[in-house]
Amino acid sequence: MLSVFYGDMPEAIYNPVVYFKNTYTDDWITDDLSKKMIQDVDRSVVVGPRVIDSPVLGGISPRELSGGVKTLISIYKVPDKVFNASACGDNCAKWILRIGEMQDITINLRHLMDFGEEDFTLKVLNTGQIVHNMYELLLIAGMIVR
Amino acid sequence: MTGSYEIMVANAKIRYEFTIRRNITIIKGDSATGKTTLVEMIREYYESGENSGIRLKCEKECRVLAGRDWRMLLEAVHESIIFIDEDNAFLPSKEFAEAARSSDNYYVIVTREGLPNLPYSVEEIYGIRESGKYASLKQTYNELFHIYGREDYAGLVKPEYVIVEDSNSGYEFFSEVMGKRDIEVSSARGKSNIFLEASRCTADCVLIIADGAAFGSEMDLYDL
Repeated sequence: MLSVFYGDMPEAIYNPVVYFKNTYTDDWITDDLSKKMIQDVDRSVVVGPRVIDSPVLGGISPRELSGGVKTLISIYKVPDKVFNASACGDNCAKWILRIGEMQDITINLRHLMDFGEEDFTLKVLNTGQIVHNMYELLLIAGMIVR
Repeated sequence: MTGSYEIMVANAKIRYEFTIRRNITIIKGDSATGKTTLVEMIREYYESGENSGIRLKCEKECRVLAGRDWRMLLEAVHESIIFIDEDNAFLPSKEFAEAARSSDNYYVIVTREGLPNLPYSVEEIYGIRESGKYASLKQTYNELFHIYGREDYAGLVKPEYVIVEDSNSGYEFFSEVMGKRDIEVSSARGKSNIFLEASRCTADCVLIIADGAAFGSEMDLYDL
């Protein structure tokens, strides 16, 4: 299940990009879900564990992936840590929900991420409430962050 | 520092052109739109100049602020355009907001956080989008676009309820104007109370009157 803590959370990893750079291994990149997230968010194709084909930048290494994808892969591969998911744009939201359906994860959000118009299940740790859509979430999270 | 400044920064693969109009400019939006690439190119040009392979044109010096020693660096920088990427933990702090407000620099900040300590205009919140390619060079051209504040609402606004940020003359003025149309008006007594006031309201169409020059940090709430 996906749990979210809104606002300042000192124990969260504020800079997931640095964490990713210093911890990722080849198998993080060639994982099927990672490849799908890289294709969808960065519009890039994993050629091999150390080469990714970007439509804008050409051949790049995993270090040059977007901050959003690096954060998504870190959340997916290290579920026992809490990452600052405000490094992710709204185009990462559906992947956060999908990872949360696969395993228990907690993320820190310092802004109002748009999780879309479909129903979802998410626990707001600040209040202990479980919400099922953006309207319910907004009424709670909107009081905590901007 | 006052006025507008045009910036062009390019390498072989990507080119950005945009204009900075106020002391605080916010860039946000989806992942993988080129926000961090822009900041990286500014940093590399500042460090190595034309030897970086990057071209940069701007009337003012452009540089990047990052890391734990940001205070020391900021004290030494004047009349510059300072770019800050979202991975800097000092961004939401009161200390940074105070230092930025009292300096003579312009700031281009990549962040999705509201930064309530740093008042910025609704009109100076931008996204980055690809607007074309220079065919022969296969260079992607990126531009900044206004996320809020450019729609023309003339004739479209028919509110059932009005919330005014102000509690004094602004509230009195709109109470008088809306009262003649039997439209109820309330004062939120400050921008941070507007969302609470709006969430209590049951009307279908609510008009919020607020100071757009300082309302940027609140906009995500109303966008959603």
